[in-house]
Amino acid sequence: MGTRSSHIQLALVAPSLRDDLSDADLARALVSGATWAYAETWNRFAPVVFNMAVSTLGSASEAEDIVQEVFSRLARKAKTLRQPESLGSFIRSFAIRVMKWELRRRRVQKWLTFEPAETLVDMVAVSLDVESRDMLRRFYGLLSQLGVRERLAYALRHIESMTLEETAVAMDISVSTVKRLQDRAADKLLEGIETNIELAGLLLRKRGRHEA
Amino acid sequence: MRLEREDPPDPSHLLFLTELARDARNQLTEPTAAELGEKWAAVSTLIAAQKTRRRTIVRLSVAGALAVAVALAWGLPRFGHLPERATAQAPLNYQIEGGTVVEGGYLRESGSDAIKLQFTEGTQFMLLSGTRARLRTITSEGARIAIEHGTASFKVTPRGGARWQVDVGPFLVTVKGTVFTVSWDAIRERFDLRLRRGAVSVNGPVSTGEISVKAGQRLVVNLPKKETVITEEDDADGRGLDGAPSDEPADEPALRPETASLRGSMSLPNRASGRSHTSGNGPKMANAKSGVGQGWAEAVAAGQWDRVLAEVDHAGVKQTLARASSEELLALADASRYRQRTGLARAALLAERSRFPGSQSALDAAFLLGRLAESRQGEMRQAADWYDTYLAGAPAGTYASEALGRKMMATRHLRGAAAAESLATEYLRRFPAGPYAGAAHALLLRP
Repeated sequence: MGTRSSHIQLALVAPSLRDDLSDADLARALVSGATWAYAETWNRFAPVVFNMAVSTLGSASEAEDIVQEVFSRLARKAKTLRQPESLGSFIRSFAIRVMKWELRRRRVQKWLTFEPAETLVDMVAVSLDVESRDMLRRFYGLLSQLGVRERLAYALRHIESMTLEETAVAMDISVSTVKRLQDRAADKLLEGIETNIELAGLLLRKRGRHEA
Repeated sequence: MRLEREDPPDPSHLLFLTELARDARNQLTEPTAAELGEKWAAVSTLIAAQKTRRRTIVRLSVAGALAVAVALAWGLPRFGHLPERATAQAPLNYQIEGGTVVEGGYLRESGSDAIKLQFTEGTQFMLLSGTRARLRTITSEGARIAIEHGTASFKVTPRGGARWQVDVGPFLVTVKGTVFTVSWDAIRERFDLRLRRGAVSVNGPVSTGEISVKAGQRLVVNLPKKETVITEEDDADGRGLDGAPSDEPADEPALRPETASLRGSMSLPNRASGRSHTSGNGPKMANAKSGVGQGWAEAVAAGQWDRVLAEVDHAGVKQTLARASSEELLALADASRYRQRTGLARAALLAERSRFPGSQSALDAAFLLGRLAESRQGEMRQAADWYDTYLAGAPAGTYASEALGRKMMATRHLRGAAAAESLATEYLRRFPAGPYAGAAHALLLRP
């Protein structure tokens, strides 16, 4: 085996921490295209986006994909940020848009392929018993049958525990619309629980034991 | 089907399920600074790849516009009717053998054989046994697969508009038509790509940006050492995936046990890790007598781990551990780890330390024992002890930065952030631009 070697020095891309920097300063750096600003933005906001995505999708691996998608698209969209002091809101709204797109894509795919969408609940670090996992999977299955905006409104308000105002800003809709969407979602979910005989049975057994 | 009941829907059921979902979400731990850093490497790779793609699209657009202008000038209408408008195409179909695709696209083995994926247009993937991988997307143009740990071989059928991508740890391999094998060792953070035919580009956490690899080349990136090595190999078309993907490398007479001693006398380059060929103070293994051990470093570097393990099983583990040379023990440890035989890997590394005390290889073994312990549940304390051992023996050694960084993380995990502060300070003093500098800053800057 003939061998010719070339050695290239690498520079690891480790995000540096700049806690002293305000979000507004970071946003300005991002808009100007500073490479370090992308890493710092990731450091600050990737966990936020991840949590929102987990709450909405119920899957850590899918949430990771969403986070990756959000930040890779953000690199292209950063220059559209008009209010540097609202970087957090900008990223949350952007993440919501990506999730909306993803959820709509799934609905279309489901419709085109005539196959039921699989409900993936893989919060691997979570210590839940088998019944609870099953309930959770079925619950996210019901959430996936809601409209995209209803699903997002319900998940952000009640699972991610965002306020009405925060949800409205993130979804770029009015507070009254959030209220309407979450109420409609709750009605549909209740209806879904009642008509899902396995889930209702699981709930009765689980809660019966719990209350006993 | 509605349950037979007259009561109105019970809102407490919804409340209960919502709380369950909230509890599950709250139980997920926040990613550490180091984990964020690792994931950022993958995202930054994607961003770099997108930039490259956009530049290419701009260039192609300019070229396309010129071509259209030329075509119009030549009188395109003479060609009669235009072809029918292309319709959106369905994603490629595939068949899977030796496993199944489960939730999240994870590929789960159904036995001990390799998983094989055969796409309708001819492309084949093969994941060696023990490889953790995920099928991320499939389109009409190709697919994207993520290798989280282990080795995979690919034979991609060349065709216009094909788009195949392989995430390998923090690296992204973009493929046209080609045959190659790629592996990622998540513990040692080592990327290894051997290209038989065609060309691929590799993006990753490297300052040189995109690396192009051509047929017959091998690219090895060792992240802890911050080193990239590209070698030319003249047997590029001679093994593995030349035809269909296969986990049975073609027989190489020099590596057969009965002829191993011939290989031992050849002056072959050492394995890519650069370990000394003759390290160790202990006795050398009498290879000609035992019939095992010769050429293991080369075999491991060529991905022939099963061959090494089969030879050990044939010769006996105890005998091998007692007689193998220092280099062979390290090669055996590697092969065992790649095949998830962590008990054997640990035994080989412990034998390295007990039989060759004071050698550089024994110190390297201490570091690797630490990484091995970290990968096992509940052995974080042992991992920290092994890093201490390595740092005491090789304060400026190859793995010093990595060992100190891992020790810092282990200490934080075991005793909390306050206990790890002094290690963070020491890390930044010694390795201000090291891979754990971000994590060290995070520890020191916490409120």
